[in-house]
Amino acid sequence: MAMIHLGGPPGTGDGPDGIRLHVQRLSPPGGRPPTATVVLVHGLLTDSLASWYFTVAPDLAAAGLDVVMYDQRGHGRSERPGSGYRLETFVSDLERLLDQLDITTPVHLVGNCFGGTVAYGYALRHPERVAGIATIEAKPATESWLTDISGIMRRIVVELVAHEAESLAWVTAHRGAHTARLAKSAARLVRTTTIAEDVAASRTVSEERVRSLRCPALAVYGADSELAGEDGWRRALPPGARTVMLPGEGHSVLAEAPARIRTLLLSWIGEQGTATPPVTVPVAAGLEGADVS
Amino acid sequence: MTTVEPTAPAPAQKTPTAQAVLADVAGMLRTMLDEEGLDDIEIAMDTRFTDDLELESIDLVTLAGTLQDRYGQEVNFAEFVADLELDEIIGLTVGQLVEYIVRCLNVAEIQAAETRAAEAGVAEGS
Repeated sequence: MAMIHLGGPPGTGDGPDGIRLHVQRLSPPGGRPPTATVVLVHGLLTDSLASWYFTVAPDLAAAGLDVVMYDQRGHGRSERPGSGYRLETFVSDLERLLDQLDITTPVHLVGNCFGGTVAYGYALRHPERVAGIATIEAKPATESWLTDISGIMRRIVVELVAHEAESLAWVTAHRGAHTARLAKSAARLVRTTTIAEDVAASRTVSEERVRSLRCPALAVYGADSELAGEDGWRRALPPGARTVMLPGEGHSVLAEAPARIRTLLLSWIGEQGTATPPVTVPVAAGLEGADVS
Repeated sequence: MTTVEPTAPAPAQKTPTAQAVLADVAGMLRTMLDEEGLDDIEIAMDTRFTDDLELESIDLVTLAGTLQDRYGQEVNFAEFVADLELDEIIGLTVGQLVEYIVRCLNVAEIQAAETRAAEAGVAEGS
């Protein structure tokens, strides 16, 4: 485990001491040099880097990637400041984290839900530092995203804060002890910070601006999720984005079907090639199909 | 007629027993639980991380780091859980982890013994 200390620039709501984020990094086995860096960004409230650590991360490292995971502010083992939870602050955290880790080559960003929105935010800010984006059940921060997330936050405040005991009892009975434990941490985050109002006050981007993104993008959805059932969501994806609907899956598709997500991510990142352009090898003359013109 | 098999490397004396590893792991867990204000919980082989100790998945990630600090690269928790489903990770017992650690340490010890034997062989032959 490593705690990475990010300084406190203006506008983040952090004190002068900045914020400390919990980071985990997995490298290819046997000291092999990595082919590229992939940064995994988790979702809001009940999520943490553990969702990656226990699903796709070890296989991505085994496939030769440098895998960076971190707990977003307020989540997991990272610090939980009282305020400073607008989307743009989460994007600044990712920016400062990669600077701090001295990662200068373009990275593959993989985001789950809100983590996907953070990934899009980063790519819009630094297109030259992104080799590609893969998102799971996520949308860029358009007006329609803000409407959705604000509604979800309002509901959560009612359920987890105003009726915490009843809600936790229901979660324990229907979703098991572990989910209840996660819900308890989420309730603490909502109760002790301004996250609910901050997220709802995030800055949005126009669909047009999202369509100006030129990096390769993969957008995965559970076919039964609310997001996949919405009208017009494709308009707010970068042009040429590949969308994949996983039948029989809902919003928690990463936790429910990690093997399918793993396969998709590995083949997609493989297709994008490595961060450094491959050396062009001249094609031997006479090979069938070789372009000899 | 009986064939005499080459003697396998003797089990290393240095490899800790399951009991010793359990004591180690229980110590690490107590430190984590103290921070959560949960002490005085008995930790045995059949104790479950989630149901009995109320640990979250992120606590298991922290534990993985502590294990690596204690036992080195041979004990790779990420590799161990890579073969498990999420439900199995959530239902994991302390005993399953202890057995895995003992297995890793045994393998590491046998490999070290083989390397020593091979080096000795090279030295004799030269």
